[in-house]
Amino acid sequence: MFLGEMYEGIKHIFKRTFTLKYPYQKQLLQKGFRGRHLLYLEKCTGCGICAWICPEKCISMVPVKKDKEYPQNPEMRFPQYWYARCCFCHFCTDYCPTGALDYTPDYELAEYDRELLLWSPERLSRQPTNVGTYQSVIHGNQGVTFEQVTKPKVLAHAADAQ
Amino acid sequence: MTSNPPTSNLTISKTDDSSTLDVSVGPQHPGSGHVRLLMRVDGDYIVSIDPEIGYVHRGCEKIAEYRNYVSNIPHLERPCIIDAIHLNWAYVLPVEELQRITVPPRGRYIATIAAEMNRIMSHLYWLAINAGVFSGHTTIFMWAFGDRDLFIELAEWLTGARLTYSFLPPGGPRRDLPSGFETKLTKLLNYFEKRLVEYDRIFFSNPLVIARAKGVGVLKREDAIKLGVTGPVLRGSGVEYDVRKIEPYGAYADLNFKIPTFQEGDSYARFLVRFEEMKQSISIIRQALEKIPKGPIARKAPLVAPEGEAVGRVESSRGEYTVMVMGDNSDKPYRVKIMNGSFRNLIALPYLIRNVHVADMPIIYGSLDYWPVEADR
Amino acid sequence: MNQEITREETIINKTKSNFPDFVKDAKIDRHLRLTITFDKDHLLEIAKWMREELGLDHLKGVAGIDFPTHKKLEVLYFLGSFSKPELQNLIVTLKAELPRDNPSIASAVSIWQSAHFHERETFEMFGVKFEGHPDLRKLLTLDNWEGPPPMLKDIKFPEIGQR
Repeated sequence: MFLGEMYEGIKHIFKRTFTLKYPYQKQLLQKGFRGRHLLYLEKCTGCGICAWICPEKCISMVPVKKDKEYPQNPEMRFPQYWYARCCFCHFCTDYCPTGALDYTPDYELAEYDRELLLWSPERLSRQPTNVGTYQSVIHGNQGVTFEQVTKPKVLAHAADAQ
Repeated sequence: MTSNPPTSNLTISKTDDSSTLDVSVGPQHPGSGHVRLLMRVDGDYIVSIDPEIGYVHRGCEKIAEYRNYVSNIPHLERPCIIDAIHLNWAYVLPVEELQRITVPPRGRYIATIAAEMNRIMSHLYWLAINAGVFSGHTTIFMWAFGDRDLFIELAEWLTGARLTYSFLPPGGPRRDLPSGFETKLTKLLNYFEKRLVEYDRIFFSNPLVIARAKGVGVLKREDAIKLGVTGPVLRGSGVEYDVRKIEPYGAYADLNFKIPTFQEGDSYARFLVRFEEMKQSISIIRQALEKIPKGPIARKAPLVAPEGEAVGRVESSRGEYTVMVMGDNSDKPYRVKIMNGSFRNLIALPYLIRNVHVADMPIIYGSLDYWPVEADR
Repeated sequence: MNQEITREETIINKTKSNFPDFVKDAKIDRHLRLTITFDKDHLLEIAKWMREELGLDHLKGVAGIDFPTHKKLEVLYFLGSFSKPELQNLIVTLKAELPRDNPSIASAVSIWQSAHFHERETFEMFGVKFEGHPDLRKLLTLDNWEGPPPMLKDIKFPEIGQR
């Protein structure tokens, strides 16, 4: 009497499984994934538009150590991010007039101390370390699996995550 | 236990009758958000129900007066985060009306494609939790969440985030369709259409589901109009009312689609309305991908809005989402008022759950698709 | 296009001619949006006429707006129609002005049943008393909230520091 429904459920035993075994298999992240921010110190002028537009008010402009000269930023003010509050909307990246902020695929930002979530401008300018490896493939009626696309490595530039 | 079910009137009946037992679904039951339903039970019949809401209230409209128009977008899309594009669009339509800017055609088509993908995602969540888990059907819970993840991956490719898109600031969408997006989306839609046939066989034509949902929680047409309900609850009771047809926004004026309406008004009709809406969304996305024009996607919008009031609305997954924005020549709105589907459908909960068996309560609650975070704001 | 503009103007003319004393202002904001400001003591008559003669059969929401500098509170009712196809895409806004201390207005629950929960919310957020409402109590705030109505503009919240 329930044979139709039971057949529907049982036939899935013979199809491929649909589970990504994180953290050994990570999902491929396309270009423009909204992870943590990347700051180009040589482009930032310290205008503060990112701090004004931030919905959570987690950006504040702070001075950096004077070990390098930044002629485009006379007051030496750079953004500092409080990642406990950031909602990763990236309006700061889109509204920056000089393009000094960029997207990265880093999303594993958890720390054991809350103070370590306050990222200084120097820490924001370090290169990203995460890259996606597996992406989903649809096999028609046989279901969905994951295939390996790239091997994990340290990137040279965020745009190479493709 | 009485042989005839007792009667009660519409408004919340405050019975001090000692013959009923107070059973609390809660104290704050997590069914997609926290809500408390205080049931007054006589044997196996629920005499009346008193919904206590406000467990997730965070002063959304008050906070919106302290943020500027662009910063308000991540804030005002959070009430129903699985339906984020619709909430975003409903807030941005009156702001664009106040600032007198129009979005170019390509931007409107991209917003329509994203909105229909979001409708499918929201209905899959409803199918998994409200229709599946609340009635005890855990297979459809696994299947619907699995297929929803494929749509989330595509949305992540389009907007950059899995669920919290913030995709439509005033003036148009933030990004264009990436190259290769159309092929992958078409492949996913073909796969999903075959999966809908399997969903039909395991859930919607399942004799157990039909026995639990057919004839339960009947909302007649005149009562649906009087109570002012909206969305699939209204269309399941025979009123053909969809904002996409009567006041088209985005690209809906150029696309052909039907509005599924059923006349019976019971929970099974409300289930079928959402099932058919998923099929219509697939057809809308396919047409939009064919007809999308070339050109710019967005216009630059000013950062302030002049004085005035504007009312805009969209058809979200849970009903008609109306937002009133009042500007006062500054960069922050003076008042934002939100009227959403879940809060308007709340009146149907004490109206429908009267004189029913206790086991009918999850089915009726699930068929209304009540999202407490959206209703509480 | 001409026919639709005359439909909105027809509503405005009918309202003004039926209630010449109670309607203070009626205007068209844009295509498909009307605003009618009326005297707050005659809500029930105007509402009943709108539901029965015009066919605006449901209430989408009740909003309150606070104007501390003008010393007034405004209450807005957003109306729509399901049953009349030619009015389905209109939203009519009824506006009433109330004094800021001790605001009260008649309850619209006897005319539109959907006003039940909307009026409860406006009562607790702005302090507006709706006379005739069967169950006026707090809806969204805490059960033991004794403070002033939260949505008023001159409420003082404690300062929370930001790093």
